[in-house]
Amino acid sequence: MLSELLQGTDTGGFLIVQDNISHSGRPLLKSFISAALNRDEDVHVLAFEASEEELKDGLQGLPCQRLHIHNAYIDPLGWTAHPAFTVQQFCFEELTQLAKQTSQPKPATLVIDSLSWILRHLNPPHVCKTLQQLRKGGAVRAIIGLLHADMHQRGTVGSICHLATSVIAVSPGMKADEAVAKTTKRAKSGKVTQDEEIFRINEDLTVVVLNKTSHPGPKQTDQEEPEMDPTANLTFNLRLSDTEREAKEKLALPFVFSKEKKMALLQSGPGSGRILYEPDANDDYDQEDPDDDLDV
Amino acid sequence: MAAPVNSVVNSSAKCSSFNATSFQKKTRSRLISIPGTRPSVQNGQLLVSTGVTSLDYLLGGGLAVGTVLLIEEDRYDSYSRMILKYFLAEGVVCRHELFVASAQHTPDDILQELPSPILDDVAIHKPVEQPRLSHEPQDSLDAMKIAWRYQNLPKVQTALASSSRFGHYYDVSKMMEAEIREAAKCHRFYLPEHPTQSSPTHSPMLESYSALLKSLRDVIQREGFEVTAPMSKSRNILRIGLHSLGSTLWGDDLCCHDNPRHGHALTTFLYGLRALLRSSLSVAVVTVPSHLIQNRALMGRITRLCDNAIALESFKGSEREANPLYKDYHGLLHVRQVPHLNCLASQLPDHKDLAFKLKRKQSHIQCGILWPFHLFIYFDL
Repeated sequence: MLSELLQGTDTGGFLIVQDNISHSGRPLLKSFISAALNRDEDVHVLAFEASEEELKDGLQGLPCQRLHIHNAYIDPLGWTAHPAFTVQQFCFEELTQLAKQTSQPKPATLVIDSLSWILRHLNPPHVCKTLQQLRKGGAVRAIIGLLHADMHQRGTVGSICHLATSVIAVSPGMKADEAVAKTTKRAKSGKVTQDEEIFRINEDLTVVVLNKTSHPGPKQTDQEEPEMDPTANLTFNLRLSDTEREAKEKLALPFVFSKEKKMALLQSGPGSGRILYEPDANDDYDQEDPDDDLDV
Repeated sequence: MAAPVNSVVNSSAKCSSFNATSFQKKTRSRLISIPGTRPSVQNGQLLVSTGVTSLDYLLGGGLAVGTVLLIEEDRYDSYSRMILKYFLAEGVVCRHELFVASAQHTPDDILQELPSPILDDVAIHKPVEQPRLSHEPQDSLDAMKIAWRYQNLPKVQTALASSSRFGHYYDVSKMMEAEIREAAKCHRFYLPEHPTQSSPTHSPMLESYSALLKSLRDVIQREGFEVTAPMSKSRNILRIGLHSLGSTLWGDDLCCHDNPRHGHALTTFLYGLRALLRSSLSVAVVTVPSHLIQNRALMGRITRLCDNAIALESFKGSEREANPLYKDYHGLLHVRQVPHLNCLASQLPDHKDLAFKLKRKQSHIQCGILWPFHLFIYFDL
């Protein structure tokens, strides 16, 4: 599933890469950036935690005119007179304007490094509202965010991940350069799929998915086991051959009427009785209580 | 009771007023007869169906008019949303009015996903294809050979249902057709369309909840759902579906922090909602993402403020999925609270271990609640 997500999130998709102190998710984030650049998409990166040089490291071979890094690393809180990008600018109007600045008519991909930084300085309902507005508005095609799960309370992490369409939680693998990715994807129909894979990131930021882990993934819920047919493998014959069936049809049943008589009986004639019943307001609902009639 | 007829000349209208005995048949107080409702057999409350017949059974026959059902969402909000859609679909089929409020999805998105009702109360039965002999005429395929007297009667559904006009069956794999849906009157509340005005008084409720409560009150007053409204008009029920209250998109930090700043916002809203419902002919279903709320005391308060409360726990993604006991089911259902309205004690369900399952039967998928283990009565809903 990791490779599917790398190939391109759907429009309006919100992907979260969740990492912790033991394994950083930034290389995977950079793989997503390089995959988007390879697809000729505009990528806007809000860099709060890493400098511009660090983010560009590894992306040299790719067409960089589509990559726009908004440097919020130098002065995120606006202490100097001319800050490049501050955390207060993380709101729907400013971000839409930012995304529309590019020359391409196609909507851009927004990469946020990291959401944790923003959550330390803005309150979570505001961040959630902005993210939801960005998803619904048309300026941004997809949002990819990095979230450090151990930096926040569980409720905050849960609330942000509740908004996401896919969440990838990375953790260290057995070998030094391998990592385990637990992916949860929510389709628009409401169906949830989960997967656990071991992956490795190469020098050129391509992701190689190694074999799946030993735990088998959960079974799809709509697969039904084929039911055993009880009429198979019997020692006696339950089927009819054609001649046998003809003989069965020809058998005259007792009390069988001719077709005309049947039709006559089925239609209600003028003489047949019909029961017309209209319950009025006085009718008793309760059949069990005989004393209900009395006004005592 | 025999009322003697005076004479043939007097019209029959007169004979009912002549009473020879002093016993009067006790007539019940005029019950409001609204389609889609019925009185409860336990305490006489007017009940509506939730759309899922076995959930009606758990709640004591149905949802009493004027009460709130709280659904604690499962982790990915799939099954709670489905029960909300069943509730709204039941309203469409019974021709009640709907009110849908959401902060995340537009109400139209929710309404378009309503499951389609299985309209004739008949199990869709495909006759087993028998290879036919060549001389048999085409039209005798449906004619029954032995039970021919019954061939014009509709096929009867064998599964048990308390009253098929009270609860209906739905097919989740198909969407409700647009003409059925548009026949129902629906009021919508989508939070981003209501710009928040900061209230001058410091109320404990958030602006989003105040706006929602105000909108509800306006609808109830305008459309005449209040109990004190004049009885001349035909009465109807308002079904209110509030999706994911308490989540961050409503502006509430209940789910984010252990000690939320707006700790009383949702509880104040629920208090106001219940007061509004008690004085009107409406029913509400509220879903809350309780798995995100870390403060259990707060969750307890929210549960106490609603009348009925159930919690859904889906097996998807949890370690219970591997448990072989649960392999046929999709999740567990916990009944947190059942109300006792106008009586001393409530009727709790006999079994505490309840599981639910989305069942694919023949060609449709239905939602059902099963009693696992010893009691294997399968409620086909």
